[in-house]
Amino acid sequence: MDLQQLKETKIAALAEATACADLDAVEAVRVRYLGRKGLLPDIMRSLKDIPNEEKATFGQTANALKNELSEALDIRKKELRAAETGTSDEFFDYTLPGQWRGWGTAHPISQIIDRVADIFAAIGFTLADGPDIEDEFHNFDALNTPGDHPSRDMHDTFYLDSGELLRTHTSPGQIRYMENAPPPIRILVPGRCYRRDTEDATHSANFHQVEGLYVNERVSMAELKGDLTYFARQIIGNRAEVRFRPHFFPFTEPSVEVDFTCHVCANQPTPKGCRVCKESGWIEIAGAGMVDPNVFKAVGYNPDEVAGYAFGMGIERIAMIMLEIDDIRRLYENDVRFLSQF
Amino acid sequence: MKLPLSWLKQYVDFEDTLQGLSDQLTFSGVEVEGIETVGPTAEQLDGVVVAEIIEINPHPGADKLTLCTVATGTEEITVVCGAPNVRQGMKTAYAPVGTTLPNGLKLKRAKIRGVESLGMLCAKDELGISDDHSGIMDLDAELAIGTPISSVVGEPEIVFDLEITPNRPDCLSMIGIAREIAALYGSTLKVPEVDFPENGPPTSSLTSVDIQDADLCPRYTARVLNDVQVGPSPQWIQHVLTLAGIRPINNVVDITNFVMLECGQPLHAFDKTLLKEERIIVRRARDGETMNTLDDQSRQFTSENLVIADAERAVAVAGVMGGADSEIADHTETVLLESAYFHPVSVRATAKQLSMNTDSSYRFARGCDVGGVDWASRRATQLLVEYAGATAATGLIDAYPKPVSQRTIFCRWDKVTGLTGVNACPQTITDVFRSLEFIVDGENDTGCNVTVPTNRVDLEREVDLVEEFARIHGLDKIPTPIPQTQIIPTADDAPIQGRRKLRNQLCGLGLQEAVHYSLTSESLLEELDPTNKPSRIKLSLPMSIDKSILRTALLPQMVDTLGRNKAHQNEKAALFELGRIYRERPDGERESLHLCIGLLGPVGRPVPSKEPLSDEEMFAALKGIVENIAQQQEIIFDFEEFSAPAYKSGCAASIFHAGTSVGHLGIIHPEISENRRLMDPIAVAELDTDTFLRTSYEPNHMQPIAAFPSITRDAALVVDETVKHSDIMAIIKAAAPKELEKVELFDVFRSERLGSGKKSMAYSFTYRSGRKTMTDKQATKFHEKVKDRLRSELDADVPRG
Repeated sequence: MDLQQLKETKIAALAEATACADLDAVEAVRVRYLGRKGLLPDIMRSLKDIPNEEKATFGQTANALKNELSEALDIRKKELRAAETGTSDEFFDYTLPGQWRGWGTAHPISQIIDRVADIFAAIGFTLADGPDIEDEFHNFDALNTPGDHPSRDMHDTFYLDSGELLRTHTSPGQIRYMENAPPPIRILVPGRCYRRDTEDATHSANFHQVEGLYVNERVSMAELKGDLTYFARQIIGNRAEVRFRPHFFPFTEPSVEVDFTCHVCANQPTPKGCRVCKESGWIEIAGAGMVDPNVFKAVGYNPDEVAGYAFGMGIERIAMIMLEIDDIRRLYENDVRFLSQF
Repeated sequence: MKLPLSWLKQYVDFEDTLQGLSDQLTFSGVEVEGIETVGPTAEQLDGVVVAEIIEINPHPGADKLTLCTVATGTEEITVVCGAPNVRQGMKTAYAPVGTTLPNGLKLKRAKIRGVESLGMLCAKDELGISDDHSGIMDLDAELAIGTPISSVVGEPEIVFDLEITPNRPDCLSMIGIAREIAALYGSTLKVPEVDFPENGPPTSSLTSVDIQDADLCPRYTARVLNDVQVGPSPQWIQHVLTLAGIRPINNVVDITNFVMLECGQPLHAFDKTLLKEERIIVRRARDGETMNTLDDQSRQFTSENLVIADAERAVAVAGVMGGADSEIADHTETVLLESAYFHPVSVRATAKQLSMNTDSSYRFARGCDVGGVDWASRRATQLLVEYAGATAATGLIDAYPKPVSQRTIFCRWDKVTGLTGVNACPQTITDVFRSLEFIVDGENDTGCNVTVPTNRVDLEREVDLVEEFARIHGLDKIPTPIPQTQIIPTADDAPIQGRRKLRNQLCGLGLQEAVHYSLTSESLLEELDPTNKPSRIKLSLPMSIDKSILRTALLPQMVDTLGRNKAHQNEKAALFELGRIYRERPDGERESLHLCIGLLGPVGRPVPSKEPLSDEEMFAALKGIVENIAQQQEIIFDFEEFSAPAYKSGCAASIFHAGTSVGHLGIIHPEISENRRLMDPIAVAELDTDTFLRTSYEPNHMQPIAAFPSITRDAALVVDETVKHSDIMAIIKAAAPKELEKVELFDVFRSERLGSGKKSMAYSFTYRSGRKTMTDKQATKFHEKVKDRLRSELDADVPRG
């Protein structure tokens, strides 16, 4: 086949392609020209007989035949298919549900603990841990709460037959950490706690706390207030403020209760009371204070050489406030309709 | 503690609004938990007036009712009345038709048993004055008819409800709170002047006090009052006691209670003639000794209990409650008045042991003022002389073997400023101390000596004074610096962060996290984790059977939760819990972190379908999750046959990591499921994460990516139903040339044509050479060799080609 014949073949092939009456005809044209035993391989084989000066043009024309014919056949195929379904393009239903498995959800308690941990991690707090089953020493005595101390009445404790107990707060985590590490210390201890509380919408015999402890040569209540204010602004918003009310905890002196600006009110242009904060504009979030010298003595620190602050807060309480959960028991029912909301 | 403001104002002057006072107290450490208005407001009493009953006639239709003709000041009308105390000429409270009473009752024109009644004669409870419903109000005869009743009743009382923290027993009284207010407002405390005549023989000739245990009773005072006339106490005493929440009884008892509320010192009055030999012995009880207390309960003591005794027997539980045998009665004429200091620990233990929490034990247990014992005794004596006609014997017996002196503490300026962060000068600091009635002296460059009154039992150390400064100076004055980051180089929380990563990975797989209580019931563990019975850890005094035992596994609660979700019409649930389990173990490591996964419904299906759920499908979905965990942790889990009571027989496997069992997974036993109305199989896995959790970052090193193309060949094996995938894989592994890169199962198929007890398992084999392009011929050779082995070892029908 010479160049002229090739050009004619190309015209004929393209004409055949556009004239195909059905999909079978399209396939037949494809096999006749482009198939393994079709015309095009023959043409390529005849390239060797073409004079040198024409070889380039011949090769290009052969390639053009291959490409243009393929394209023409594809177009004809689409046209024929469109004619069958009555649409101009292939139908695609993008509204069908997706099939990749969805992202699950962390429990609200975990989410709050993670959030608190992240905020404090940014100012150098690392996480620490302690056992749920504690002894009297770590849960009470070392925390300046001897057996005859009236403040033990504040904690109604679950005891085991062994005389051990289920920790009533995460504070024993402080003791265990200080027993094993010299100052400075900057830790956050999240964990489960237990008290003999009759269960209702806001009380649970099993709950979670997170405890913070910072010990160094010089530590002041001002730093405690500054750090908690930073935390409040991270978790509630830039307008949040912190206020201290004097209180009593055996393991801190001075001791305070910590209120945060109500998260609902705080983000209003003019903060004023709402239902969440019972019209006060404030929500009680934490207990805190300066580590009592007796606590330092109990772990073998010299109270004249170190100072520290500690704070503790209830995770369920924060979760209930932030996520507007109406009953603490919902957190433990594990109904998927609840879990999937957070 | 209830604080009636009208009473408080007798001890201190201050000007502030209710909210202002409430804030001052709350922000100095005495939290105002509530503000209660006691008694009706003038508005609530609008329309109610003083009226006189001018005539009383029987009701024609009811014996217990009367018809009262009443003069209201504007008219004379008839009112039907059922009160037992009506009498002619009585002045009482009258509410006309149309009035709404403070208790919400709206008065309408009404016929009572056929007689029209125009309005109502009121009892105190109906007007919200008290809960007295014994009869209609019996008012002063001098009152003019028509006077609005609000002007007779007076303003409503404001009562604060205070939370007093355990360290501040000095605040458990009117004077205690007044002292705080004096410090806060820069005002002066007004302690009542105590003065009374003493007559007759000295007290020491009338009785004696013998303290046999001075540790438990460091101080005991006794006074004797003769000619006592027991009767009701004056209205104002009854009124303030009622407001403070104490029921009036008689003048003697009311006065001891009044003084306790006034100054915080509990007192006890004995009928002196009922004491054997009319004397007092303070001693430990004899083991097994008994006594009837004022509440008519028989109490049995041990030698740990301190009692007040007469010559023969216990007559009071020291600091807790008096005995019935020496109680003040109507005919009592001689009173022995006790004012003493008992050791807080002893009172607390005794009150707890006997389950008797009284106003007295509450104060003693927290710590009373050993220095204030005498003042309280004198104050009560003064009131008994004044309001019970008593004659005070001369002097008192004050058994006080080791007088307690006031405590002096050195307070450094830089300790105050350093701990609080408040830049206060010495003058500011000492001003605060002096406002609290502390004595400050010896001031120098470093600090000062502070002598604190004996009522401040909480002030023992320098740091306690720092707190006094902080709370009175004002916590709002503490500055709020910008946080400083502190990096502690040795701190390492990688193991805890590892758990968080695992949780995120599970969420990424589409699972929802559940959190259960760590306390559960014995019955649930019996049903679902009986094998760990010996290692269960029980509470010695659980609150309920449901939460009496620490969980030994996570699986039981997970099964319950899946059942509960199904009961709530949640058809699908894919849950996990990452939590502690508790088992008694020989090595003492009782707590470990477990992971539990539970699947309910067709959660593994990419597209919803109504296909029934099979054990295989549920198991495969769960196993996929478990394998995913292994992949993310970069470890390999092996699975072996397993059986446990919770699982359906044959449908469970144990999970191994590096030769150690780390958990198990399977289909829950159908009986257990059916007990929870779960008709479809549910799948649950539990793993001990401590055994495999990655807690450090170990980088993987890059492996070269294959340079030459591979060839894939399939093989479908028709084998007996009992042949396991792992059997086939083991043979393939043994027969494989090194060029066999990968084997994947892609289909399991059963049909009638294959026959029962047979299945077809289709595998895809990938062959690749590391040195050159694999040819068809080579691949076929390798593949046929593998197939031959499968045929010969499995008796499998493996098609050729």
